[in-house]
Order: sequence, then structure tokens, then C-alpha cells
Amino acid sequence: MKRLLLEVIIVGVVGLTVALAANALSPRGLKLSRDYFPTAKVGATNAAAVATNNSAGLIPEPQSLAAKVAARLQQKGLKLADSDQVYQLFQDPRYQQGLVVFIDSRDDTHFLQGHIPGAWQLDYYRYETFLAAVLPACMMAQEIIVYCNGGDCEDSEFTALLLRDAQVPLEKLRVYGGGISDWQSKGRPIETGPRNSGQSAPPSAVQPPTK
Amino acid sequence: MNGAQLSTRWSSLATLIARLILGGLFIYMGLNKALHPVDFLKLVRQYELFDNHFLLNFVAASLPWFEVFCGLLLVLGIAVRGSALAVLAMLAPFTIVVIQRALGIAAAQDLAFCAVKFDCGCGTGEILICRKIAENLLLMVLCGWLVYCRGHLLALRFDLVPNPQTN
Repeated sequence: MKRLLLEVIIVGVVGLTVALAANALSPRGLKLSRDYFPTAKVGATNAAAVATNNSAGLIPEPQSLAAKVAARLQQKGLKLADSDQVYQLFQDPRYQQGLVVFIDSRDDTHFLQGHIPGAWQLDYYRYETFLAAVLPACMMAQEIIVYCNGGDCEDSEFTALLLRDAQVPLEKLRVYGGGISDWQSKGRPIETGPRNSGQSAPPSAVQPPTK
Repeated sequence: MNGAQLSTRWSSLATLIARLILGGLFIYMGLNKALHPVDFLKLVRQYELFDNHFLLNFVAASLPWFEVFCGLLLVLGIAVRGSALAVLAMLAPFTIVVIQRALGIAAAQDLAFCAVKFDCGCGTGEILICRKIAENLLLMVLCGWLVYCRGHLLALRFDLVPNPQTN
């Protein structure tokens, strides 16, 4: 029994050491000291469960979900942009001049699969890679729309807070609560590949976003 | 070959199969999480187990690789009993928190317990809760088998700490 316990302790200590080393060496590894979810607390009904039970007709009404997101944003001092406002800004001539900026806060895979044409990528969880390129565009812009998958996805909110902390004026920032799901569902244009690739895909060809 | 030898041979074979199943599954599930650490971090956060972000990050960063490590030890046959006990020590509390969360979802959405389907962060995607519990119980039985039954077939170093009486 003693030998077994000793073996478990050895496995545990060596295993944890190896695990932390692997995380540190992995390019996708997490930073232990970073607070990835600032000022956020998860609700009783979480995104995964809501998404899963969608088929049973059990997801919250869109109205209540939007109201929930709006309340959450208000708590953080952020403004919500609805679907029509976002589309108006997309068609605004200022968009072509760089005075309206769209920020996609999702990861590489999702961004490359399809994003709002001309949107900048700022993956919240790997912001170091993107911030230097995105920040000057944000400083120059008059309006900044940040989005992620939509629904209960909070990454756009965190990204907006990150931009605020990087001295981007809060009044410029708005969060597109519906996110790419709403954009796609309305059949709006989608750009695939890198930013300004010019490659477009019909909405039906783009994979629905996952959480 | 007498009955005792036959029994030992079957026991060794069963131990090897148990090691391969358990180890292979842990390598697969661990890698699924380790390669998508942010997704796993978000799933761990849904359990609301940690108020401290360092602890949350620590668990999300280390657990997947630790699972891969234990899985490799089992497949290679190194420290088999210790690894199996370590896996058992992870599985039991995981199962409890997964059940607690499923109960919360069932209550919040007025669902039958077995109708609850969600991604528990186990590395296999969305799954019905009752199936997950059955799977975990089966894995715990395999762990128990590996802790108590000895079978050195294709094991590099079954016991990490040798028994002084056998030397």
C-alpha cells in the first residue's frame, strides 16, 4: 500500500511538472497569471447547455437573450449595437475610409472560415499577436464594432474592454451582440481567408459558428 | 498448462487490454483538450469551481497534459498501478461535478436528468449525461482492475517502486 501511494505521488508530481512544461512550450498554451474573464461571472444557464438544448426548443427567446446581453454590457460600461445599426455602419462610406472599424474577436479557424468583409482579427485569447496592428486602426476610427459568435459568447465584450484598457475611447466602442451568427443568418456578405482577401462565400457555404 | 497458469495468462491479457483502452482514451481526450486550451478553459469556467483566475488557469492548463501523461504511462506499462490510481482520483471528482452541473441544467431547464446533453469538458464533445456517467463508471472499474490485478504483459516497468521482498 505504501509503495502504491509513493507511486501515485511520483506520478502526480512528475505528471504535473510535465503538464506545466508542455503548456509553457505549447504555442497555444495558457498564461497562468492572466485573468481571461475580467469582471465576469457565468450565469446558471450556460452557453453550452443552451446551445445543446436548442433542438428541444428550450433556448431563451431572442428578446430575453438580447436583453441579458445588453444588461451585461451596461454593467461593463459598454454599448450594444443591434443588427440594423451594424449593417448601416457596414454600408456607411466611412467604412471604406477606415473611420468605421469592425473587430472580429474569434480565433484563426473561425476568422478564416468567414468574417465580416474587411474586419480586423483580434483574437482575445492571443491578443499580443494582433493588438499592434489593430490599435492604430482603432485610434483612427470614429466607430468600432466588436463581435464574436453571438448569443452567449462574451469574447467581444472582453475584447472591447481590452481595447478600452489600451486607451481606445469607450464612446467609440460598440459590441455587436448578434455576432457572426446574426450576420450570417441575414444573408449578409462574408469574406473568407485573411482580411481583405477578396474571397467571398455565400452564407450557406460557411460553417455555422461553434462556441 | 495448469489452471493457475491459464488464469494468470488471462489476467495478464485482461490487464493489457484494460491498460490500452484506458490509456488510449486518456491520450485521446487529453490531446483534444490540450490542443484547444481556450475552449477547455471556457468549459472549466462554466463549473464555477474557482473564484481565483490563477487556479482556473492552472487546472485548464495542466489537466489535459496530465491526462496525456497518465495515458502514455498506462499504454507503455510504466507505473501502471500508480497511474491507474491517479486516473481514478481524477475520474471520481470529475464525475461528481459533472453530475452536479447536469442537475443544475436539468432544474434550470425543466428537463429529465438523462435528457441533459452538454459538453462537460471531458474531451469528447457534447454527450448525454447518463451515457457519460456510465462511461465514467466503466473507466473507474478498469482503473480498479489495474490497481488490484497484476499483469506484466508488454509492460516496460509495471512497478515504479520495486517490492524489496521480490529482490
